[in-house]
Parts: sequence; C-alpha cells; structure tokens
Amino acid sequence: MNAPVVVRELAKTFYDEGRGEIKAVDSISFECHEGEIFGLLGANGAGKTTTLRMLSTILAPTSGTATVMGHDVVHDPEGVRKNLGFYSATTALYPRLTTRETIEFFARINQYPSNRVPQRVEYLIHRFGLEKYADARIEKLSSGMKQKVSVARTVAHDPAILIFDEPTVGLDVLNALDVQETIGELRAEGKTIIFSTHIMSEAERLCDRIAIIHGGQILATDTLAGLREITGQHYLEDIFVLFVKAGQETI
Amino acid sequence: MVLNWYDVRVLYRRELRSALRDRTIVTNSVLLPIFLYPVLIWLVYSGVIFISGQDEELKSRIMLKDIPEAHIRLKQAFEKDKSIVLSSSPNPAEDVRLGLLDALVEFLPSKSAVGIDGNFKIRVTFDESRDRSDRARSRIGQKISSYRDDFLEQRSVESGISREQFQNFWIDDQNVSSNGQVSAFMIVLPIFFIIMLAVGAMHPAIDSTAGERENSTWETMMSAATSRTSILFAKYLYVATMSFIAAFLNLFAMMASMGTVLAPFLQRGRGSSSLRIPLASAPLILIGAALLALFISAGMMILASFARNYKEGQSMVGPFYIALILPILFLQTPAFEFTPRIALIPVANVMMMIREGIQGVYHWRSIAVTLAVECVSIIVALRIAVRVIQHEDFVIGTYNGSFGKFAKERLLGK
Repeated sequence: MNAPVVVRELAKTFYDEGRGEIKAVDSISFECHEGEIFGLLGANGAGKTTTLRMLSTILAPTSGTATVMGHDVVHDPEGVRKNLGFYSATTALYPRLTTRETIEFFARINQYPSNRVPQRVEYLIHRFGLEKYADARIEKLSSGMKQKVSVARTVAHDPAILIFDEPTVGLDVLNALDVQETIGELRAEGKTIIFSTHIMSEAERLCDRIAIIHGGQILATDTLAGLREITGQHYLEDIFVLFVKAGQETI
Repeated sequence: MVLNWYDVRVLYRRELRSALRDRTIVTNSVLLPIFLYPVLIWLVYSGVIFISGQDEELKSRIMLKDIPEAHIRLKQAFEKDKSIVLSSSPNPAEDVRLGLLDALVEFLPSKSAVGIDGNFKIRVTFDESRDRSDRARSRIGQKISSYRDDFLEQRSVESGISREQFQNFWIDDQNVSSNGQVSAFMIVLPIFFIIMLAVGAMHPAIDSTAGERENSTWETMMSAATSRTSILFAKYLYVATMSFIAAFLNLFAMMASMGTVLAPFLQRGRGSSSLRIPLASAPLILIGAALLALFISAGMMILASFARNYKEGQSMVGPFYIALILPILFLQTPAFEFTPRIALIPVANVMMMIREGIQGVYHWRSIAVTLAVECVSIIVALRIAVRVIQHEDFVIGTYNGSFGKFAKERLLGK
C-alpha cells in the first residue's frame, strides 16, 4: 500500500525582482507513514513552509510530484484538501464567528458529510473542552482558546492527514505544550501528521521521524535514534548543526 | 475552475454572517443608507426653508413716483403686501445709491404707437450690488407682471376681442408633467441611489479581500477543500448583495422621509407633489440596480484584493469610487438627455435610466444599450478577476503592487 503522503523531486522556484530566481525548495523527496508524526526541522527560510504550502495545494510546484492519500497536488487539489487539515501560525480564524459557527463552517466547506456536521461539531466542542466558549465570538477568546479552536477547525472534516506548520510560534510555554499534547493525541487517533518546526525540543519530543531541511534541500531523514547513530551526537541541536554545516559545504 | 453551489452557499452565508456583525459594514451598508442621507436632506431642506423664511420677513422699502390715477389698484397691491413698505423721499435715486431706499418705481408716459388707454411704462431704479435692493426689484417685478396681466385681460374684454387677438405674442404656461416629475428630490434620488450602491459595496469588498489578508484568514480559506472559483464567486455575490441592500434601504428611507418629514415643506412650495416612484418603473430600477451592484462590486473587489490591509484597500478603492461619482454628477444636469450615446457610459447610463424611470419616461433603445453595456462591463470585470486569481503570488499575497502595476505587467504584458 502506498504511503499517505509521497513527495518526489518536489521543487519550487520563485522570481524576485531584486534577487532574481530563488530556489525555495530544491528537489526534495520523502514519504510519511500512516499514523506517524513526520517532522520537518529547519531554520527560518529553509523551505519548510513552501513545502507544506505545496502539499496543501496553496502553491503549485515548479517541478516534481506529490500525492496526499493518492490525490495529486497538481491534478486533484480539491481531493488533496479534502483529505488534509492545514494549520499554521499564519492561518487565523474569522473573528466575528462563534466557536460553534467556525467549526461548522470548516466542516462543511471541507466536504464533511452535511448530515453528520452537527454531531461532529458537538463532538469537537467536547473533545477540545470548548463547551463554555461554544457560542462566544472568536475575537473574545484568549489566545489559548483560539489555539484550541484553530486545531478544532483543522480537524473539523476529520482528515487523514494533518499539517502543522510551526504551530507553536508566538505561543507561551503552557499553550505551546497544550498544542504539542493535542498533536500527540491526534497521532494516537491514527492521524498522519507532518509537523514543521525550528524548535529542537519539539521535534525531539513529538516526531517519529525527522527530516532536516536546509537551503531548500532535505539533508537527512531518519528517526531520532537513527540520526544519533549516523552522527554520533546525542542532542538534536548538535545533529542539526552538523548536517547543516555539511550541507552548506555541499550546497 | 469548478463552481460548487453548495460551497458557494456555505461561503456566502459565512461572509454575510460576519458582515452583519461588523460595526463598519453595518454602519456603512445599513445604518448610513437608512439615516444619513434622509437626515442630511432634511437638514438642508430645513435650512433652505429657514433662509427663505428669513428672506420673506425682510421688508423692502420702495417709493412709487408719479403713479397715475388709472393705476391706483397697483398702488393698493403694493400697500397690501406686508413685505413692502412704501416710502417717500425728496431725492429717491440718491437714497437708493446710499441704501436708505431699496427701489424707486417711476411711471413714465407711454410712447406706444398703439393707443391703449392707460398703457404704461415703468422704470425701476435699484442697486444690484445690494441683496436687499435686488430682492426689492424682484418683488416689484412680480407685482407689476401680475398687475399687467390683469390689466391686459381687462382691456381685451373691454375691446370685445380675445386675449390672443389682443396680445399676439405671449407665453401660455402649461405643465404636462406627471406628479412624479415636479419634485427636485425625485431628480436627486438616482444620484444618492448610485452613491449608496458604491458605499454599500466598498467596505464589504475591502473586508472580504484585504481584510482577510490583514486578519490572516486568507490562507486558511485558500487551504479549504473548495475551488477558488467558488470562493471568489461567493465573495462577489456577498459584496453585490450588500451593495444592493444599501441602495434599496436608502431608496426606501428617502421615500419614507420625504413622504413624512419633507412633504409639508414640499407642499408649501409647490402646492402638490407626489413622492412615489411609478410602480411600472420598479422592474427597470431593480434590474439597473442589480447590474450596477454587480459591476461596482467586481471593480472594487479587484482593486481591494491587491491590498495587504484594510487601510491600503481603502486607498486603492477610493479613486474608483470617485470615478463612479464624477460622471453622474456632470450628467445630472437637465441638459443631458438619455440618448443611446449617453447609454454607452457605464454607471452614468443606469443613473439616467433610473432618473427617467422615476419620471415614468422610457427610451427603450437607450435602455437596451444600457443593459447591454452594463452586462459587458460585468463580464469584462469578471474575466479580469478570473485572470488575476490564476497568478499564484496574488493568491498567497506576496505580490507587491497595485492592480495598475499588475495589469501593466501581467495582463498587458508590458
């Protein structure tokens, strides 16, 4: 059986008036296995967000292919999005909708069977402990609560694949831990998760496999134990630096 | 580019629900149309009435000189008028110059070849540079004109001939207008109607494009499992709905306020004036408003979607708003008729069509041209929008520039 997410030689080039052509993602390949958290670990500007935007069909790849649950990101973008929940620090909520309306809207627009939407909404409100705030407008919620609603809207249509693009950016420690805990729970529910971060501790704590990405290229992909074995380093930070330095020389 | 009607309905409801909870949109698209312009018009009209009342209270100091016995009734007419005070002066012309007297009326012997008994000639001395004196001149003119009409009528009867035979060349006023035509407000209505269409569209257009970028909900929406065409279409329908609602709320508010608050003022000035739009014009006004709402919404959304925040959106849409209003202000003058040539000018053509519709006048050829021009304008605007959303940097919001720059670089390929 094919892996839920398959990426082959995926590349993205942008054109900038000042800098000319920029290879944001340079021919990367990886696969995500069912029920795992696959980490994309890289510094700012490494190409993580561009990769995830291509996977979520917001951007079209310049070359290469990617499939999500068998749907091609170029030829069947709606099929991809139907099977995917995309969450990032830059994806906000509609401030004037209530929690309930938000979850309902995203369930419907992401093609969750319409006759089952009310039950799904109630389930998610309960699942994320949002009962007290179900009818409060998003703009009135605390940032921690907004975070929970954001996760709830990401999984509103019960997608098999979830993408979390630097989900803890801008959050305080407690809220960040809360998000990490939720992601762990979602994995336990059988979701396949792609998790991008530049925070080593998060990757160490959550990811089943980690891809180190730098300069638009994937420098290594393995489990934490595997990476430790290859490099002889214990801390992910040291592993990361080692690969990046070696990668820079190669690049 | 697939349009999914279920998605459009879900997206449309979301847009509308958010909009009706936004203070700026509710103020501009609902409250402003209902209250602002009717209140403004009421204030302006009250002001005009007040000023004209002040003017009426102003007494004109007039001196009648050498009035013949035959025209003593004219003198009596002056005496009866409470706005006129008859004065006398040894040097009246000098007093007019000094402002001590407002006007001097002198009766001169008639030099007419046709000998009509009591025929008269009058010289009025006044100072045009003084409003008070000018006003006195106007009052004298009205009095004498009225007296002259009676005088000529009387002479024609005495001579045993008709007025037409007696006075070959004269003006016989006949008002053929319907009741709807008499009110100046009915002429101004289309302008407010179009302004309201634009005001109603402006904030929703900015909110649903630049506002989404500013709130970071744009990317959330773009990652939803629906086509971009459905997203765009739902937003477009929503903006057009708000525009349409604003215009009609304003229209009804104006009609209601004119019918209740202004009617007494209008009747005072005109005698009778209807404040109703002919029912037969309603379909034409509805179609015109719908087409215009669609056109204005498309234009504003295209421009606003290049902005990264609300403020930028306002500055990008502003010139379009002015471009909409200017032609209708110029074409509002009665000299312009609703010809097929005028019907080629988008927006202004609908204004003219509605103006004539309100008056119960239908130039079908011009109406047909108008509808065709508006439909073409909408199609062009939508085609531009579809071409714009095909550009990825526009969709993810990394394109840095206005629609003008984009059109030059990408659409025209310069």
